[in-house]
Amino acid sequence: MAGIQLAHIQKRYGTTEVIPDFSLDIEPGEFLVFLGPSGCGKSTLLRMIAGLEPVSDGEIRIADQPVTHLPPGARNLAMVFQHYALYPHMTVRENMAFGLKNIGLAEAEIERRITEAARMLELDKLLARKPIQLSGGQRQRVAIGRAVVKEPGAFLFDEPLSNLDAALRNRTRVELARLHQRLKTTMVFVTHDQVEAMTLATRIVVMNQGRIEQVGSPIEIYRRPATKFVAGFIGSPAMNFIDAAPIASDNRHLTVRLPDGTELETAINADQLGNGPLVAGVRAESLQIDESSPIRGRADVIERLGERTLAYVTLRDGAVVVAEAHRESPIASGDHVGLRFDTRNIHIFDQAGRAWHGN
Amino acid sequence: MSTQHIAGKRLGDRLILLAVIVLALIWVAPLIWVFGLSFKPNAELMRHTNVLFSPPFTLKNYTDILGNSSVFRWILNSAIVSLGQTFLTLVLCSLAGYGFARTEFPGKKVLYIAVLAGLAVPEQAVVIPLHHIFADLDLHNTYSALILPRLAAPFGVFLMTQYFKAVPKDIEEAALMDNTPRWKIFWRVVLPLSVPAQATLGIFTFLNAWNDYLWPLISASKPEMYTLTLGLATTQGNFAQSEGIGFLMAQAVFAGLPIFVIYLFFQKYIVSAVAGTTVR
Amino acid sequence: MSSLTSSLADAPVQDTTRVRTRSYSNRHWGNALFVLPFVCVYIALLVIPVADGFWMSLHDLDVLSGDSTWVGLQNFVRLWHDGIFRGAVWNTFVFVLMTTPAFVALGLALALALNRQDRTGTALRTIFFGSSVLSVTIVTLVWRLVFMTDIGLLANVMHFFGLSAINPLTSSALALPAIALVTVWWIIGLPMMLFLAALQQIPEEIYEAAAMDNASRWRTFWAITLPSIRRTVALVATIEVILQFQLFGQAQLMTNGGPNNASRPIVQFIYEAGFQQWALGYSAAAAQVLFGLMLIGVSIQMWLSRRHDAQ
Repeated sequence: MAGIQLAHIQKRYGTTEVIPDFSLDIEPGEFLVFLGPSGCGKSTLLRMIAGLEPVSDGEIRIADQPVTHLPPGARNLAMVFQHYALYPHMTVRENMAFGLKNIGLAEAEIERRITEAARMLELDKLLARKPIQLSGGQRQRVAIGRAVVKEPGAFLFDEPLSNLDAALRNRTRVELARLHQRLKTTMVFVTHDQVEAMTLATRIVVMNQGRIEQVGSPIEIYRRPATKFVAGFIGSPAMNFIDAAPIASDNRHLTVRLPDGTELETAINADQLGNGPLVAGVRAESLQIDESSPIRGRADVIERLGERTLAYVTLRDGAVVVAEAHRESPIASGDHVGLRFDTRNIHIFDQAGRAWHGN
Repeated sequence: MSTQHIAGKRLGDRLILLAVIVLALIWVAPLIWVFGLSFKPNAELMRHTNVLFSPPFTLKNYTDILGNSSVFRWILNSAIVSLGQTFLTLVLCSLAGYGFARTEFPGKKVLYIAVLAGLAVPEQAVVIPLHHIFADLDLHNTYSALILPRLAAPFGVFLMTQYFKAVPKDIEEAALMDNTPRWKIFWRVVLPLSVPAQATLGIFTFLNAWNDYLWPLISASKPEMYTLTLGLATTQGNFAQSEGIGFLMAQAVFAGLPIFVIYLFFQKYIVSAVAGTTVR
Repeated sequence: MSSLTSSLADAPVQDTTRVRTRSYSNRHWGNALFVLPFVCVYIALLVIPVADGFWMSLHDLDVLSGDSTWVGLQNFVRLWHDGIFRGAVWNTFVFVLMTTPAFVALGLALALALNRQDRTGTALRTIFFGSSVLSVTIVTLVWRLVFMTDIGLLANVMHFFGLSAINPLTSSALALPAIALVTVWWIIGLPMMLFLAALQQIPEEIYEAAAMDNASRWRTFWAITLPSIRRTVALVATIEVILQFQLFGQAQLMTNGGPNNASRPIVQFIYEAGFQQWALGYSAAAAQVLFGLMLIGVSIQMWLSRRHDAQ
């Protein structure tokens, strides 16, 4: 179980800067997820930790040892690749043994580790097979098994679930969480899927264009997104963003006017914000359909998801927002509806994209 | 209308197939004719050759070949030269292909382009200097002289480089994470994956070496160093007054049949070898 | 390590990458060891001979004494005035012009007809490709027997139809076409296979869409198949030009260049000048001419197909 420190990591390809300056401490034993859209540099970062990609500048330390210039094999890490990267000409057993033989581990120990990993991952009956004879889910488990037997200081996962179908992805996710509870080894996981990030992580690092947008627990990231980017990236359906102008008020709290004329008093301290234009953000769950509300709009599309109902509502100024209705709400498309904002949960974003929250 | 259309198409397909079958029969006719007549006595063939399937038959033409001791020597030579060339080509080209496709070293790109430029050089442009060089080294009429020149052909390097470039990179990266040294990644991980390409290149090289004519003709002047291809050419030199056309026919069959049988055996690989090298 | 990192922080990018990556498995002089064996062979047996051949073409070489005299371009001037060489160049061009279109047209026709996944298709492909694996000596032996005066297979067929038979190899008008015919028979398999591979790359849906659009067989071929495999057509034409420029064995073994030099190709001229008359400089000069002609031929072809692509 090893911590990983990244200090002022930079990555350039020629003159293109992919990662400008990245620092982060990964705690021993935590499950850290790099989350971001494709091209945000999260995979590059993981590959630099692995040693597969040279670092242009900065330092990487694993278990308090500098490893920035060590070859990948010398870092005491194991990696699970997106396309599994199993050795096609070797059996499952040989795949798992290959790395152990390379470091000269005793046969008996190799055997012990393989047997244990195979039992844990239910690979016992597959040990003599070649990768081509396995299903996608089985290959995935072999790839994980190959990492587990190395008993590494930390595991690296590069979008390992993206090649599985939805059902298998859910099951493997649970298995990975269980694996982490059991081994308590540091795990670094790269994904663009927010559900994977929310369910697996002890901490999430949201990345955008090579920079950290926010580091925090899944709930922090969801409840108190640090930037407009994070607020828009996390959560389904995506957070509603509405232009908002601050208006003078006697109240200590910030009051804003929306384009359709609605005035909302937020739970945010007004002193902190200037007079420039703002954006108000509100999640569908904080924007309820309520016939008694004076804020009106027309419901265009109704999505019934079972546990709740979503309504896409066009406001009087033409803006479209997603609101939530009760799951058995009789609402139909074309209805004129009222909307009630849960003002305690309105987020305000300034022009720099920085977020402000109530409480 | 549409049913008529489809029926017309079917009839068209049948007619095309029929035409191709007729063409195929014409195509194999010379081979069948030679094969059939190779079992007939020479004296009979002097009178008429339009009697494919009527007796008398004889194996004398073949026993005459077997009596000619140099044929076996030539087959042995061809086998040594072809297998040697194939083996060495596979070794050189696999190493070089991996080096060019998957490793970095200073000057790699320039070197690769310089190697590819060799594809434009026809064999004939270098046979005279090569003869000169091997004469200086006093290597003519040796296996080395027959094997070495073709090893310089860049085609195999090109083929293997293309193949190695297509091998998924993450498998090699997984091996790197597994503490594998570079040579071992090549030997234990990448080389086993390249078996299809090895087969392609091996078949090509073997056939080319077996069928090579110009260089052995220039380099090998002693009959005991002839390859089968070359030796066969020397026996048909005095075509008219040879041991008889039945004997010549038997020779053609004797020399051609083994390679043809090999072709039938490895047909799948040969075809994909030919087709696979250019379509990517 | 970290002091190294910070001290290099201001250095130019190129320098830092080289220093930084030295300890990695990538970009390393040691990696050149992979290509070294081949490169040595390549230099010794291709680069040096090419240069040597160029040098020889500018010299008059005496094989016995090993003397060489600089003669400048004299060998080339002599070639220009040598009627036999000019004839050989002419023969080679005619041969390339006869065979290349045949390889493209017949190869494509066979590929279209045999692009079927059944036993008939496999068997027919085997037949048409099979002769390619035979050596030139076997092929010429078979065909010399076929062409034999009076008793050859050709003569038998002609007699059967009541026609008088001649041996085309003894006629100066027919010798070269006969060699071209044998060559097409021998290696039609290669272009056929290349075309087949290209045809199989065309997605089936395009044909289904064309069928839904009521396209006739002929129109489908011109509007869909041919444009899809245009690059392969250019490739086959280029390969065949290169291969057929190198005509040697068939001509040497079947007609020995005759009758009356009517079928002597350039390579045979090179061979005879070099290894029968031992005029090595002269022969090397002829080889340079062949090399040059092939480069010109391929360049023209590439230029044509590029221009076609651009349109």
